[in-house]
Amino acid sequence: MLKRTLIALIVLALVAGPLAFAAPAKAQDDLPTSPLECPGEEMAADATMAADATAMAEEAMTYDGGQPVDAPDKAGQDIRVLDLPKLIGIAYFSATTKGMNEAAEELGNVEVVTDAPTEANVDDQITFIENYVTQGIDGIMFASNDPVAISPALRRALEGGVHVIGFDANSEPDAREWFVNQATFNGMAKALVDSMVEEVGADGSVAIITSSLTAPNQNRWISEMLAYSEKCYPDLNYLETVPSEEDQQLAFQRAQELVNKYGDELDGIFAMSSVAAPGGADALTQMGVCEDTVVIGISTPNQMRPFVKNGCAPKVVLWNPVDLGYATVYVMRAVVDGTLLPGATSVEAGRLGTLPVINGSEILLGSPTIFTTDNIDDFDF
Amino acid sequence: MAMREAEQDRPSLGLQLRDLVLRQEGVLVAIMVISVIVLSITSNNFLTTDNLLNQARLLTEVGLIALPMTYIIITAGIDLSVGSILGFSAVMLGWLWQEQGLPLELAIVACLGIGTLAGLFNGLFIVYVKVPPIIMTLATLALYRGLAYGISQARSARGYPDWFFRFGAGDFLGLPTQLWFLIVGAIISGLLLARTPFGRGLYAIGNNEVGARFAGIPVDRYLLMIYTYAGFMSGLAAFVFTSRVSTTRADSGTGLELDVIAAVVLGGTSIMGGTGTITGTMLGLVLIQLLKNGLSLSGVKGDATIVVIGVVLIFAILTNNFIQKRLQRA
Repeated sequence: MLKRTLIALIVLALVAGPLAFAAPAKAQDDLPTSPLECPGEEMAADATMAADATAMAEEAMTYDGGQPVDAPDKAGQDIRVLDLPKLIGIAYFSATTKGMNEAAEELGNVEVVTDAPTEANVDDQITFIENYVTQGIDGIMFASNDPVAISPALRRALEGGVHVIGFDANSEPDAREWFVNQATFNGMAKALVDSMVEEVGADGSVAIITSSLTAPNQNRWISEMLAYSEKCYPDLNYLETVPSEEDQQLAFQRAQELVNKYGDELDGIFAMSSVAAPGGADALTQMGVCEDTVVIGISTPNQMRPFVKNGCAPKVVLWNPVDLGYATVYVMRAVVDGTLLPGATSVEAGRLGTLPVINGSEILLGSPTIFTTDNIDDFDF
Repeated sequence: MAMREAEQDRPSLGLQLRDLVLRQEGVLVAIMVISVIVLSITSNNFLTTDNLLNQARLLTEVGLIALPMTYIIITAGIDLSVGSILGFSAVMLGWLWQEQGLPLELAIVACLGIGTLAGLFNGLFIVYVKVPPIIMTLATLALYRGLAYGISQARSARGYPDWFFRFGAGDFLGLPTQLWFLIVGAIISGLLLARTPFGRGLYAIGNNEVGARFAGIPVDRYLLMIYTYAGFMSGLAAFVFTSRVSTTRADSGTGLELDVIAAVVLGGTSIMGGTGTITGTMLGLVLIQLLKNGLSLSGVKGDATIVVIGVVLIFAILTNNFIQKRLQRA
């Protein structure tokens, strides 16, 4: 009897396992998408300008961020603020931290403390927030690993009189005051898909290497990319989405697996994180298949320079993360000083000039930049 | 009758054993007192009721799973799949409720049930197919995590009703609600281990499994029970975790098994089996959390905190070994 139960269990496990894997995880969220206009005769570069125009047009929303309770008045005084990226130790977040320190030095009255988990884990981030609020800090600048899970901890910070600003990856709007948005999701999606279509044609077959399958930014971009492709390039064929967990070596392996699995059929790979792109491009380079397959990804110029130059990753889409960190500190300072209040339509951000407010409580850094052989040497981060 | 005789035989050996255990725990208490003094000097915010209660909230999930893990390690086994069971059960809780339309109350029961089944599955293979625990649970570490990703399609379930958050974010009789689960669980688990034939059986299995079989201890049944218990507690931790962080994600509890094992081992349970107490595990658990929190409050950064905890772990184990050797000589 027991043996029979056991056999039944084994069979169940053997069947259930593959079944669960058979349906590839879709890695997108269920939020509504808003694909931008198709390029028509315009060039891709102009299209990203259009992205901003659309974003501006949507700005009529009222302020939906939260407010700290009885925050001490520190206008013009020294403040100590926490820089809490998704994780520490990768080039991208080192760049945002660099920008924050630049701004802090310029302002002279801001001290930035950088501390974050070594793995992109929201549970650890919550612990960091609670410890720093207990320790006593004037402000928190976070990039969330999960927009919902991080929100209760941030709300407690607001209730404790701490200023909270998001950058890179948002929380729920009422759990922070402002969110510095590096680029709109639909703008990025359009830039990525248009770049890909220029390389592989409107009927190519593509795969996606994302970071973790639960990463909110990545899922949002993928949702927008799929919506935009459906609207503008219905023949673009999406083969598969695979995770690479913020791990360059794993991305390398995933790209190899994709090439081995699909061969010539695979025309392009979207690489959705700053480590997935170099990992994937490196794999294609080493396999010598860049003639047939290219990587179009989101990454930093320094990491991608060799692959842009050897043609394996002809276009890289990103904003400037140093500017992102820089702007975040200026926004924090403006909030503490009381110069950026709910309802404002723009904010001054040092050398970046005036940045617009969009979607009620977001500050838009600018349009995404597309790095190619023509301009990549102008950037160093 | 036989039982009573066995108990009468214990004092001389038992006294010695208790002395030893007391001293192991004594070392921990000493380290803890020193840590608390140092940490409260370096940070004014450390020794406050609010902070300590908040820390209790954060350690509960690890603590719940550390109870069965103590049993398992006492029998010279290990369970590496507990973090994955947590993720899997949490995902099932969210999936059954949101995608399948099950009432949330039932989904919670299902979450506990699925955790229990996952543990039972480990146990069946370890006991009846004789797969070594480390291999079996390494396999299910991957299997359960894969199921969590597959079933949830890597999407998180959100939007739970307010009453649901009472268990992970609310208070009951002045303490964080989930701490009561841990207190009750620790008392029951501690009594079972220290005062019952079942507990003595576990020590016997850890010291000499073959001998335990010959002594008529139902080894298979006990092993099956403790791995199932680990599954149940992981399911319970999944529920508490979901209620605390307000969303279920397929990667919930990744790496949790290492925190659990660290707490148990720091608490004086030997990975070779045969020794260990629930009191020790709870002390280890609290010590690690106090260090993590206190160091962070004193301005030590995240990566350095891990280093310090590693050093404390090695120091505590060295001290234990030293004392054990001295006692053996004496």
